[in-house]
Amino acid sequence: MKIDEKFAKRIASDDDNMVPLINVVFLMLVFFMVAGQIKKADPIAVVPPHSINETRAANDPNVVIVVGGDNSLYVDDQLQTIESVQPYLDEKFSSSLNKEGFWVQIKADGAISLDKLRPIFNQVRLAGLTKVSLATQLERGKE
Amino acid sequence: MPLNLSQPKRKNAISLTPLIDVVFILLLFFMLTSSFVPWRIVDTPLSVPTDSQETIEEKENVILTLKLNDDQVWVDKQVIHFTDQTRFQGLIKDHQKSIFIIKAEDGVTLQTLMHLADRLKFNGAKTVSIANAFAMPETP
Repeated sequence: MKIDEKFAKRIASDDDNMVPLINVVFLMLVFFMVAGQIKKADPIAVVPPHSINETRAANDPNVVIVVGGDNSLYVDDQLQTIESVQPYLDEKFSSSLNKEGFWVQIKADGAISLDKLRPIFNQVRLAGLTKVSLATQLERGKE
Repeated sequence: MPLNLSQPKRKNAISLTPLIDVVFILLLFFMLTSSFVPWRIVDTPLSVPTDSQETIEEKENVILTLKLNDDQVWVDKQVIHFTDQTRFQGLIKDHQKSIFIIKAEDGVTLQTLMHLADRLKFNGAKTVSIANAFAMPETP
């Protein structure tokens, strides 16, 4: 009888070894669910300039222009040339329902030179759009 | 005395393996899709092109010009290093109602521009305009 009891105890404790593992995995899961934000990835990796600026966007941008460190230009995830930015913006603006709140976000790499950005800003200006924002990332603990 | 020969009731333990399978899949999903970059935005309102371009420089504004990525800025033919807090504070104190307009020459990086805007804001400047740094140079 004693042998049976021991045997039964060993069977029941097979999954008990996994409990600490599950605890850790659950903690990691909760961390990623709470701390992370699910967002669509950018078409190319961009390291935005660091800034102490704290302003967050109130709503999502209508058009996102991504400028990589190699000067590649993506408008709404599509590789474009500089000349095609203005027609694209014109088309997006005319089809937009909320024309007052229409804004363009430019995500540019911090290492990019400003003379490479000027033609892009010029295209936005030529499209008649005035609401433009630059994306930055928060710099903590430097001041 | 009758013998109690019935098997002792064993608790039916649910296997944890399917649970941890699902939890691992969820964990992988959240790890791969989460973004931790704290994106912020800096508004750079653009002016609509008009026939009569009125330059805002004529008003009582302070023009700061970045020439190189050497953490130095030119104001009225004088150089101020980004770390020189005393001179920044003096400049801002002398022009409390002015707009600080940053201009940049070719080759200056976006990070240098943001760094200067940060220094101005940090030292108390109320209005800093970086939009002029993105304006196309005027053709003669």
